[in-house]
Amino acid sequence: MQIRTTRFGLLELEPNDTLHFPAGVVGLEDCRRWVLLADAQNSALGWLQSTTRPEVALAVVSPRRFVPHYQFKVYRSELASLELEDVKDAQVLTIVSKNERSITLNLKAPIVINLKRQLGRQVVANGDLPLQHELASSPATLKKSA
Amino acid sequence: MLVLSRQRDESIMIGDNIVITIVDIRGDKVRLGINAPAEIPVHRQEVYEAIQRENLRASRIEPKDTRQLGKSKGPAAE
Repeated sequence: MQIRTTRFGLLELEPNDTLHFPAGVVGLEDCRRWVLLADAQNSALGWLQSTTRPEVALAVVSPRRFVPHYQFKVYRSELASLELEDVKDAQVLTIVSKNERSITLNLKAPIVINLKRQLGRQVVANGDLPLQHELASSPATLKKSA
Repeated sequence: MLVLSRQRDESIMIGDNIVITIVDIRGDKVRLGINAPAEIPVHRQEVYEAIQRENLRASRIEPKDTRQLGKSKGPAAE
């Protein structure tokens, strides 16, 4: 199957490349089928591309790579639709965005994917976690120039 | 808007599989118990709206916006 995307052009997909989000994504409830793409330039970055809306794509990263101590709790019911046999089958991704100052990660509402069943869901973590966790860009730059 | 009066421990049903129960009432605070199928997301409205805004903003990001991401990588690797 071929899909059209505004950022990545035409993509050729196998039927089992797609992930099913039965509840869509918050605010994008109509987007139930997605495909996870690797970024061409940045190995830390992936893209969740809607297969039905060419202009909708979410940049995603594995959060621990950037926020080493990140963990979250969700109600069991949040995970029910993922049909996880083992929590270890769950892959957690956080959505990347940016504000005026910095690239940000949404730590409050991560995406959980059951790769075995190709099911995904955006969950709402309990407690006080930021929707826009700013990634400081200066330390690495300073280290390099020092 | 439909307005119903309920007392503590009373419930309302929405459709045939969503039950909302008044668990506790203290002053101006009401605690609700919600029983709904797993595929029906339940959120506090203000949290839901904030996530919605954030997702819509995030969904407009372009690959060029993410170029500084690798450079901002924290000290720990996987």
